Amino acid sequence: MNHLSQEELIELYLSEGGPEAARHLDACTECAREYEALQADLTDLKAVEPPARPENYGEQVWNSIAGQLPAYADRRRPSFRQIWFRQPLWIGLSVAAACALLVAAAFYAGRLWEHRNPPPAVVSHPAPSVQQRVVVVVLSDHLDRSERLLVQLKHADADDTQLATPLRDEARSLLVANRKCRQEAENAGDPALTNVLDHLNQLLNGLANQPGGLNADAIARLQAQMNQDGLLFEVRVLRSRIPKHQAEANLHLKGGIA
Amino acid sequence: MDKNDHATIQAVLSGDKEAYGALVAHHSRSVFRVAYRITGNEADADEVVQDAFMRGYRKLESFESRSNFGTWIYRIAVRCALDKVSRRGNASNRASTGTETESEAVQVPDRAPDPEALLLSGEIGAFRESAMHSLTPLERAAFTLRHMEDCSMEEIAAALEIAPNAAKQAIYRAIHKLRHRLALLKVRT
Repeated sequence: MNHLSQEELIELYLSEGGPEAARHLDACTECAREYEALQADLTDLKAVEPPARPENYGEQVWNSIAGQLPAYADRRRPSFRQIWFRQPLWIGLSVAAACALLVAAAFYAGRLWEHRNPPPAVVSHPAPSVQQRVVVVVLSDHLDRSERLLVQLKHADADDTQLATPLRDEARSLLVANRKCRQEAENAGDPALTNVLDHLNQLLNGLANQPGGLNADAIARLQAQMNQDGLLFEVRVLRSRIPKHQAEANLHLKGGIA
Repeated sequence: MDKNDHATIQAVLSGDKEAYGALVAHHSRSVFRVAYRITGNEADADEVVQDAFMRGYRKLESFESRSNFGTWIYRIAVRCALDKVSRRGNASNRASTGTETESEAVQVPDRAPDPEALLLSGEIGAFRESAMHSLTPLERAAFTLRHMEDCSMEEIAAALEIAPNAAKQAIYRAIHKLRHRLALLKVRT
């Protein structure tokens, strides 16, 4: 038969023991004797009573501590303003001087930093979106004028000599812009536009620099060339693309497209 | 009672310092009792009572209105008593926890009411006190709260700011030590 250990007896005394230990205690005389001895020891200690205090003990305690306790109304946290103005003048001046010193130190440190780490040189590049917009506007204008010229040429009466001069002059005027636009199209890597502008260039060159003047035969031949190339159709197709380009260019200007 | 305490606390917090005197008068005896049982010294217990009420006053703003002021100040007193015993040092404890001497091993008949035993009762009381002093401050406080103040393990743990299991272990160790010391009082027949 296993007797209860000291820990188990203490647990029982502290009302922490389990029912099994309690049953064993009831049944086992030896453990019951041990438990009785434990109770006797601890009861002896319990018998020690604190010395009596006088009737007015609470009053005595209060009188002894009251002088050291500030009233709560006085203990409320003062505002920042109150704290500030309660300080002696020299503290305020010291704080102000410290602040001024701090600002000066920060300024000097900033200057030193700037001197040692010069800002990177700003290289101004025209914004691609602006450049693109300019090109698109020029191209749009050029294609408008070219289309009108081609329409005039298409419907021109080859025998009408009065029409030759305006056609020639307009063609000469358009040649410069056409070369510029072709160059830009080539730089931009737009083969379709480059090809159309090439054809347009040949036609404008024929109109502007016809050897012997722009006569009925020359006009008829150029009309045939224009029709054969489908140049007017191609110019119109290109013009239909322009609004889209222009809208994108405008968005570039506003920073809308990355 | 609680309602009165709460009303008094509100008055104190509103600036009526003297109202705190009523709380001191109401709870000082119970605070003294536990302080004495932990410190084992009347003068120390009186100091603990004063410390506890002063600490309570300063912390009164943090007192939660749903709590019981008696329990709250009791816990503060336990902490103060523990601090007092710890500060007092273990000098007296060391003196009494050394190797047992013959003079300490007083031989008296167990529970004998004869005149000789009565004459020695004063010494027995002193020996019991020295047995209590052999405990560490934590063991003494935990044992006192459980054995003399009938506190639950949870209450002891809360008062001593330790885990319930740690409180339980401290009480077990205390009982072992005390029984070992008290065994010397037994008559060796």
